[in-house]
Amino acid sequence: MSATPASQRIWDLPTRLFHWLLVVALLASFVSGEVGGAWIDWHLRSGLLVVALIGFRLAWGIVGSATARFAQFLRGPAAIRAHWRGQWRGVGHSPIGGIAVVVLMLAVIAQLLTGLYTNDDISFDAPLSVLVDKNTSDALRLWHGRLFYLLAVLTALHVVAIVYYLRVKRDDLITPMLTGRKRLDPERSAALPQPLTTPRYVAALLLSLLAAVVITWIASGGLLNPAPASAPMIESTTPKPAW
Amino acid sequence: MKRTLAIASLVVLTASTAALAQSGPKPEQLIKWRQSVFQVLAWNGQRIKANVEGTTFNREDVVKAANSTAAIANSGIGALFAPGTETGKGWHDTAAKAELFAADSKVGTLAANFSQEATELARIAASGDQASVKAQFGKLNQTCKACHDEYKAKD
Ligand code: HEC
Ligand code: HEM
Ligand code: HEM
Repeated sequence: MSATPASQRIWDLPTRLFHWLLVVALLASFVSGEVGGAWIDWHLRSGLLVVALIGFRLAWGIVGSATARFAQFLRGPAAIRAHWRGQWRGVGHSPIGGIAVVVLMLAVIAQLLTGLYTNDDISFDAPLSVLVDKNTSDALRLWHGRLFYLLAVLTALHVVAIVYYLRVKRDDLITPMLTGRKRLDPERSAALPQPLTTPRYVAALLLSLLAAVVITWIASGGLLNPAPASAPMIESTTPKPAW
Repeated sequence: MKRTLAIASLVVLTASTAALAQSGPKPEQLIKWRQSVFQVLAWNGQRIKANVEGTTFNREDVVKAANSTAAIANSGIGALFAPGTETGKGWHDTAAKAELFAADSKVGTLAANFSQEATELARIAASGDQASVKAQFGKLNQTCKACHDEYKAKD
């Protein structure tokens, strides 16, 4: 007798919100980056949103729900081999899927790191560009453009893989990423980790939000601005030249 | 014999000087000039940006910068992209793409759009409020970007 698989929560709300907001923010970054010019300020805003999302997710991957944790889905070679042979019986990201997740995130981070130090040779200097010389900042613009192709290819592979699972392996990964729920057979149900208790969940959420805020603040150049009291503006002390 | 040689060398010297004078400034000089012109545009842009994004709006600064940009835009920059300057080094290797110099180049149209928006910015700077200067500054920057996308190499 095979019991009807029960619908279980495998992705928590923060993980799902992270994913779909990331998709939206990256699309906005793509469009505003390509248009550039007058839109470059929006490109900075959407880029900083991506910074916040990644900052949140990195923290959530350490303190968040079990299926969202890096330690849960980044597994050793043995687990990867077992997965390859079709013997994986866990929930959440599979061992190979887990690698894909990290690769995608690294590609996004590379995009951010090059963007934050570059300039547009028109009137925009990214928040951290003062830390590097102009030649480096210019070279990073080139890399920012090149890396975007890499990100686009990886994203396409990501979507192709998900469609492959849906059509060929008859495993719908998309619905769980939207609703959080998936029907699990008893064996997998047993592997489902316990959800966090409410206090721990709230604490983890606050901590991750704090991480997002701090990282975004640093990326916006927060550490670079000298306190106004200790360093008065040059204009206010030096008179303007008459010419 | 000596006199013939002296006259001959004088003739050669005069002829080559004339040839040089005819060919105008060296390509290297032209590339330096155009790179410098673009740097001045960037300076002006920086000044306008500081005034449209900050809480203070110093019209005098904005007018100076906008007038300078409009004057440069209408100063015949095209002459700095003379034949012979397709490649070479000014302050650094030119970033102009070969397509800019091609027969079917759209650089003339792009430059005209740029001049138009720069002239408009100078007009608005004289009387408009911060918001309208900001909007026009955005339009101007879009014309910089349009030309860079087509004809300025990325590195
Ligand atoms: C008609 C085309 C065109 C327009 C319009 C244009 N640019 Fe450029 N720009 C170029 C080209 C081509 C180069 C590369 C010049 C070279 O290296 O020889 C360049 C180079 C530059 C550079 C680098 C200069 C250097 O040191 O090498 C800056 C800065 C710049 N442009 C800013 C601007 C700004 C700001 C505007 C608008 C206000 C603008 N440009 C409008 C074509 C254009
Ligand atoms: C805060 C983070 C970011 C900053 C400061 C930043 C900055 C920039 C700058 C200065 C440019 C050059 C525009 C020009 O040449 O006129 C640019 C272009 C671009 N950016 Fe970003 N960027 C950031 C994040 C991102 C992200 C996350 C993406 C991913 C979608 C992205 C995609 C692009 C694309 C596609 C271009 C156009 C590249 C090209 O024309 O070659 N950027 N960005
Ligand atoms: C901008 C493009 C995209 C990027 C950068 C991206 C990135 C990611 C990342 C980082 C994860 C891991 C989520 C986590 O653990 O927090 C993930 C998972 C997932 N993504 Fe995307 N994604 C993109 C677009 C899409 C699209 C368009 C779809 C829908 C077809 C999709 C469907 C999924 C699914 C179903 C998962 C869960 C996979 C699993 O069950 O292991 N993604 N994605």
